[in-house]
Amino acid sequence: MTTHPELETVDMMLNMGPQHPSTHGVFRMVLWIDGERIVDMEPHIGYLHRGSEKLCEGESYGQVVTLFDRLDYVSNFNNEQVFCRAVERLMDIEVPERAMYIRTILCELNRVASHLLFLGTYALDAGAMTPVLYAFRERERIQNLYEAVSGARMMHNFIRIGGIKEEVPADFVPRVRQLLGELRRGVEECDNLLTFNEVFLARTRGVGVIDSDTAVSYGLTGPCLRASGLAYDVRKDHPYEIYPNVSFTVPVGEYGDCWDRYWVRVQEAYQSLNIVEQCLDQMTEGPIMPQMRRIARPPKGEVYVHGENPRGDIGVYLVSDGTDKPYRLKVRPPSYCNLTALRHMMKDAFIADAVVILGSLDIVLGEVDR
Amino acid sequence: MALDNKPQDAPLFVPGSWDRPKAGKFIDAPEQGDTSTGRGNRPAANLLQRGVPGVITGKLDELAALARKNSLWTLTFGLACCAIEMMSTHMSHHDLDRFGVVTWPSPRQSDVMIVAGTVVKKMADPIRLLYEQMPDPKWVIAMGSCATNGGPYYRSYSVVMGVDHIIPVDVYIPGCPPRPEALMDGLIKLQEKIQRDAKEGPNAKPPVIAQAEVPQEGLVEPDSTDNAGEDDGTGQTS
Amino acid sequence: MTEQDKPVSEPEESAPEGAADETPQVEAPASARPARRAPPHEEEAPPEVLNSRGQTTLGLLMRIADPYVLAHGGRDDIPWIETRAQSLIEVARRCRDHRDLDLKMLHCLLVVDYTEHLQAVYVLLSPVKGTRAILKVNVPADEPKVPSLTGLWRAADWYEREMHELFGMEFEGHPNLSPLILYEGFEGYPGLKSFPFNDYNEF
Repeated sequence: MTTHPELETVDMMLNMGPQHPSTHGVFRMVLWIDGERIVDMEPHIGYLHRGSEKLCEGESYGQVVTLFDRLDYVSNFNNEQVFCRAVERLMDIEVPERAMYIRTILCELNRVASHLLFLGTYALDAGAMTPVLYAFRERERIQNLYEAVSGARMMHNFIRIGGIKEEVPADFVPRVRQLLGELRRGVEECDNLLTFNEVFLARTRGVGVIDSDTAVSYGLTGPCLRASGLAYDVRKDHPYEIYPNVSFTVPVGEYGDCWDRYWVRVQEAYQSLNIVEQCLDQMTEGPIMPQMRRIARPPKGEVYVHGENPRGDIGVYLVSDGTDKPYRLKVRPPSYCNLTALRHMMKDAFIADAVVILGSLDIVLGEVDR
Repeated sequence: MALDNKPQDAPLFVPGSWDRPKAGKFIDAPEQGDTSTGRGNRPAANLLQRGVPGVITGKLDELAALARKNSLWTLTFGLACCAIEMMSTHMSHHDLDRFGVVTWPSPRQSDVMIVAGTVVKKMADPIRLLYEQMPDPKWVIAMGSCATNGGPYYRSYSVVMGVDHIIPVDVYIPGCPPRPEALMDGLIKLQEKIQRDAKEGPNAKPPVIAQAEVPQEGLVEPDSTDNAGEDDGTGQTS
Repeated sequence: MTEQDKPVSEPEESAPEGAADETPQVEAPASARPARRAPPHEEEAPPEVLNSRGQTTLGLLMRIADPYVLAHGGRDDIPWIETRAQSLIEVARRCRDHRDLDLKMLHCLLVVDYTEHLQAVYVLLSPVKGTRAILKVNVPADEPKVPSLTGLWRAADWYEREMHELFGMEFEGHPNLSPLILYEGFEGYPGLKSFPFNDYNEF
């Protein structure tokens, strides 16, 4: 792509190494560039491979929940929930309704927290330094609530097999209602700062386009797939727990570029707040855990369960051999599959766009590498 | 433990009483064992000491330490989940900027490396490279239990059991993940260490922290039977 | 899986000495004790049932993959069928291109180690129609070869690389089976049951 045809050029290899301010975590990208255009890209992962799947085979089911917390470390409740659903399906346990409502409230708030983190760091990648401070201020509110409920800001270990660990505090419902108002204002503030900002639009519109057929072939799920035009949401298509009882819309993008992926997430955050409000209205008193054995020993069998993580479809394939430890536990991480499409999205992009495209995928290396 | 202490004489554990020195001095209690955390990093001798060996630069070192400890630039080195808590600590609620701490992407211009997250064997070489790229004086904080000793992944085939197998560590912050306040506490301890190292020179003994005398009577021994696999079947929920 | 149609049964996971009896392929130091497991359930496992949607999907699957199906089963609305490794690509293509099944997304690919044989499991999903299905392939442990599905789904690329690295499963026809998540120079296949557990090298 040189302007002087008699000049001979050689593609340069640029290493955006495992320690880099804009790769979200320890991710390494090797770019072959011709001037400013990216000709080819090779992602290198595995810098956070901790062997969780193998470790799960040596831990009892209750202990595996803590490992699942640390997979996608931004949305802990969603991971715990999908694993507990898998074990409950194998053991044929019916989770009490109150527990399901509380699980959903916590998971949807976690979705809002995760999207706020995405918003903040994505703006930081694009060059805006203010929204990240606002986003983290809102996250602090949610994390305060989590601390009151489960004792920990991040690795909660609260959603257990069969229900939840213990009853929520007495002021849970009024506190969450107040939090909803604050969060709506907070998300709106970040939204107003970024969404139709001229500079942000210039950086993200038309960048990293992927169409829906290619996206499906790559295994993309979640907001990345919905931004390409396909309305696929596990909560709507294969509803679980109490999602049939709440009504919400699924935001769908149009072009499949970075801005669409960002916009879908912001709209999802609003929808999550609606879901939480409906759950608060519908929630009743009742038990939070059924009568069951302390040591979970599912019978022999296999099950595949997937749920909607803020990043996409997290799937758990559980093979049980009847003992109290899993025989094989495979996690299908959404970020791993979203990352396979990165090379396609970066064709003929500028180097500066590489950071923006990677940010728009919203990957978390903990679940990519497991 | 001094067991002949009468229970009513020995103070019960008062938070902060066992690690804060009284009147600026650490209590030396060698018979209770050395509970130091290791020597960690020590800044190289300064130009004057290298050029003219034998010169004692007392107050100058302390002044330099005062300047260094109040503007520690950390390398953005978030590996895993602890990185999120590190980011939370940098942000406006628990602000680290008021300590002078700025997160800086380049190792060539940073002072502290906060290793936040699990150190995987594949990542060990880059960590060593980054550490060597940092100019002296540099310090390392191991944040979280994964960086301290492997944490919840202690049986894994691909995890380095603690970053101190690769680089010398000054401050260990336990937790999974440690709260932002814990990270701030660790940074303050590092600041104290920097000042102390400058005051006592490069050959100073590491500090010995006295242990509180907790009354031993009345404590219940934990039940040491392994409960895994045994099920009383009474249907009690946990 | 119903009780009668499991082609090769999973190893009886008895008390702790079960895993220690196998000779591990890698030398296990003294610290490599396998994790203690509780004895399995004495009661019979409840049979897996497919609901009506699952029955419909299973019927479609059986019809389009008719000569290749060795076994079938399923739970809820996710049926599974088992084929041979040689016929995998054909069955997968028929599943993907059939207009009602429309299993356009390879949702998950995993390998389960049953000591004497390895089982490759492919989870397929249709984002538009909402159908889900599972394909299973059993291969002997000493010759684990399965054809690669990278021609059908681009997602298979990284899945297969990872499974090759962790289990030693060979995917014939894969363009690039280089290491993905383990560090270079890693010896052994850590996903296999014979890989020593509880063992780590102080780096």
